[in-house]
Amino acid sequence: MDSSTVRIILFIIHSLFFIYAFSVIVSYIVLAIISAVESNEYMKKNSFVNYNEILSSTVSPSISIIAPAYNESLNIIENVRSLLSSHYVNYDVIIVNDGSKDNSLDLLINAYDLVKVNYLINEQIPTKPLRAGVFKSNNPAFEKLIVVDKENGGKADALNFGLNISSSQYCACIDVDCLLLEDSLQKMIKPFLEVTDVKVIASGGVIRIANACTIKEGKLLDVNLPNKWIEIAQILEYLRSFLLGRMAWSRLNGLLVISGAFGMFEKKSAIEVGGYDTNTVGEDMEIIVRMRRHMEEKKVKYKVAYIPDPLCWTEAPDNYKILISQRNRWTRGTIETLRKHRKIGFNPKYNLLGMLSFPYWFFYERLAPIIEVIGMIYFLILVALKSVRWDFAFAFFLLAYLFSVVFTIVAIFSEEFTFHQYKKKGTGFKLILVTLLEPFILHPVILYAAIKGNYDYYFNKKKKWGEMVRKGMSKS
Amino acid sequence: MSNLKKIVLAEDNSTLALLLKFRLEKEGYQLLIAEDGKKAIELIEEHKPDIILSDIMMPFISGLEVISHVRNKLKLQMPIIVFSAAGQEEMVLKAFNLGANDFMGKPFSPNELVIRVRRLLT
Amino acid sequence: MTNIQNILTYFNQLPILLQIVWIGVLGLFVSILFFLFYLYYLRNYLRAEEVISKNLFTEYEASLINYLYSGDGISKITSEQQEIIDKMKTCIQDKFKRTIFISVLSKLKNDISGEMATAINTLYLKTGLIKYSLNNLESKKWDKIALGIKELTQFEVVNVYNEISKYKNHDKQEVRNQVQLYYVSLFHFNGLEFLDNLKSPISEWNQIQLLEILQKFDDQEITDISPWLKSENDSVVLFALKLAKIYNQFQVIEILLNLLNHKNKQIRVCVIEILGYFQVKEVKQILKINFGNRSEEEKVAFFKIFEDIVDEEDEAFIIENTSNPNFKIRFLAFKLLKKLNIEAINLLKVNASGINNEQIFKFLEII
Repeated sequence: MDSSTVRIILFIIHSLFFIYAFSVIVSYIVLAIISAVESNEYMKKNSFVNYNEILSSTVSPSISIIAPAYNESLNIIENVRSLLSSHYVNYDVIIVNDGSKDNSLDLLINAYDLVKVNYLINEQIPTKPLRAGVFKSNNPAFEKLIVVDKENGGKADALNFGLNISSSQYCACIDVDCLLLEDSLQKMIKPFLEVTDVKVIASGGVIRIANACTIKEGKLLDVNLPNKWIEIAQILEYLRSFLLGRMAWSRLNGLLVISGAFGMFEKKSAIEVGGYDTNTVGEDMEIIVRMRRHMEEKKVKYKVAYIPDPLCWTEAPDNYKILISQRNRWTRGTIETLRKHRKIGFNPKYNLLGMLSFPYWFFYERLAPIIEVIGMIYFLILVALKSVRWDFAFAFFLLAYLFSVVFTIVAIFSEEFTFHQYKKKGTGFKLILVTLLEPFILHPVILYAAIKGNYDYYFNKKKKWGEMVRKGMSKS
Repeated sequence: MSNLKKIVLAEDNSTLALLLKFRLEKEGYQLLIAEDGKKAIELIEEHKPDIILSDIMMPFISGLEVISHVRNKLKLQMPIIVFSAAGQEEMVLKAFNLGANDFMGKPFSPNELVIRVRRLLT
Repeated sequence: MTNIQNILTYFNQLPILLQIVWIGVLGLFVSILFFLFYLYYLRNYLRAEEVISKNLFTEYEASLINYLYSGDGISKITSEQQEIIDKMKTCIQDKFKRTIFISVLSKLKNDISGEMATAINTLYLKTGLIKYSLNNLESKKWDKIALGIKELTQFEVVNVYNEISKYKNHDKQEVRNQVQLYYVSLFHFNGLEFLDNLKSPISEWNQIQLLEILQKFDDQEITDISPWLKSENDSVVLFALKLAKIYNQFQVIEILLNLLNHKNKQIRVCVIEILGYFQVKEVKQILKINFGNRSEEEKVAFFKIFEDIVDEEDEAFIIENTSNPNFKIRFLAFKLLKKLNIEAINLLKVNASGINNEQIFKFLEII
């Protein structure tokens, strides 16, 4: 190859990197603007809603909370109590004990006066069979509770069992260790009921990080900022993702994912598509993509709604090891979902889903870590060849760094203007400090986890689920 | 002071609780206010009131659980009046099944409540 | 001086792209500084505001209760009450304080009725809060209008009917909804007149709100719902069906039977449920005719209500459906048979080979 072809190839490579980086920045700016518009609208729309008006038992639609539990004996009693204290009237709580090896079931039986009942299960989605059976409480104060003990089949299988057994119109699928605020169900059900021209198939909620928050017997008493940088950095990450990213995507009706920790579905639609996929580690994303695909194919006007209120609080990993395994799993889930539904990508038949949401996820979520690593390797090669203009490189790095800081600060503002959860003096300073440090402390870890996820997906298929070691919610 | 009749009022609407406290104290009762079900149970266990007024929908422990606790665990038989929002007939029936003596649908008139309290305490 | 000159020379010799990058860096840096100061200010402001509003809330709460207990039980305003009114009059000129005062009033207003509720309404009028609500009605912003209507509803201002009616066909669903809530809260069943010519849909959420309000009234004498059951607007029909059920409107059964062939599936399902609730036997003849062509939802709804209206004549129809592909229908069919007569079941149990009904038999304890 003569030097001119090399120069052309290099030019193309540089241009591609440049276009990618530039488009990322532009898309972030666009998303931030859309989310600002949507947040403003949302706050306005809900400023005079009296959620208590909708509590009535006779006419409001029925909801089942479905919470799979696997070896959760540490907190199960408390978590169930919190789920039972919702202010909605027409709902029940289905705890699916997914073949736990601990004494969760006995604890539940004792705490809530449970007895085994004869229960007809309409197995619309095939699942693993019952183990000890279905239990309900003797005490009328707990009559909303249904406990199912079944053989182990994984989270998706447990959720499917819940969908089968539920007799409600809507199902809220949550992680059992999530703390739901008392008005969560009213707020989550609203998007389904307030529409008149489209069909809402699902609504997603925000996940907030409960580390260091004061929680007493299943109730969130005080919101605190945790001490560890890794925890604060995740808070910032969640703020960015939920208040800027998802808010904007919901405005565009292009949401591809609803957190497995808290999402509500119209049960019929969820069952129609066959429930959760038990063969993926990303079942929460997969079911939404599949439901959307189904709706597009049926040509029904539909919507996936999103509620930005801080309704669901959960423990986030507080050490690198668990964090990496969690993100590794998320990465594999994303890859699996995108691959399974690759037919949608760039397919005009699927409208916005195919032409915008899917490509965006593919390029900016799925490929981002890979492109970043390729960029790093390329940079190292240039360094080795001594062909780096250090002053140029410095300027670009600085620009990228400052942009990421500004973007995070915008997310913090978005939080202050809307929900303002971290009220205490001094937390603002800590948030800003970690904002400045995050690109160096959290980002490399997440990048590593994503790369490892890619590696495990392609070369290490037997990889088991990363198990999250929980610390117990009532430690404070 | 000690021979005043004691009332535990469990109500999470602080303004309403304050209003009822004034009203009932004027009638010569001693009022103990709980803003949630948990506090209500603590007050009931500590003070053994002569009557309990409880909202059904409360944070953390519902009014139903309070009744259930009083009747089944504490085995106390003092009268209980529950408040509930309109359209919650089912809840009210449950409350009666658990052992409530009377109910008032919100919004209610404070004067009427006084009359019912007085009737149940004589 | 030389430093700056050096920087400028360096900058000028850079390629244009790099110049842009540096300008971008500078721009971002300045904006970060700005944001940091602003964030500091904002957080302090929000914190201070929260403390103040909490204190004001307690203060106004006390004033309100004071006001309510210094009444003489007759409609006259006592001098003590007048003092409180005058004090609040000046307070509410401030928008922030006004919002808090209104929230105190409405918090209590939601939960109490009778003389005290009337006294709160009087307070709302006498302090001039109503003036601000009426001003909101003139606003260009839809959320202000909706808020104004909401306040006028809450404090039961009957004589602004015409002003509010201007907005009954507003573009925003939220505004229309507030108008409807106003009608129903203040004029009860008569307020439902707006349904007569309603073109826009009423969302499920709003329907529930309206029903909730209606159920609060002591007077449960409902006006004739039959025109709404015949409405062109499907959401009005659905709403009327809910009314029919809650208020036991047996006199509209004829219309309901006609609705069994309405073009909207959701309406048909609702009608089946209500006719079942009313235990109307005629429904069986109508549905049996073209049962096979009806949607799954209708079929299931029909079998769910069957139990209360079933008799011997239906046996053949039910037996036919014990082999229905739908699990729920099959289950309900067997349940009905068990209720009617056990003999036929035992035969079916032996004969039904294609479908696995073991779970159903076990549940129904058919041995």
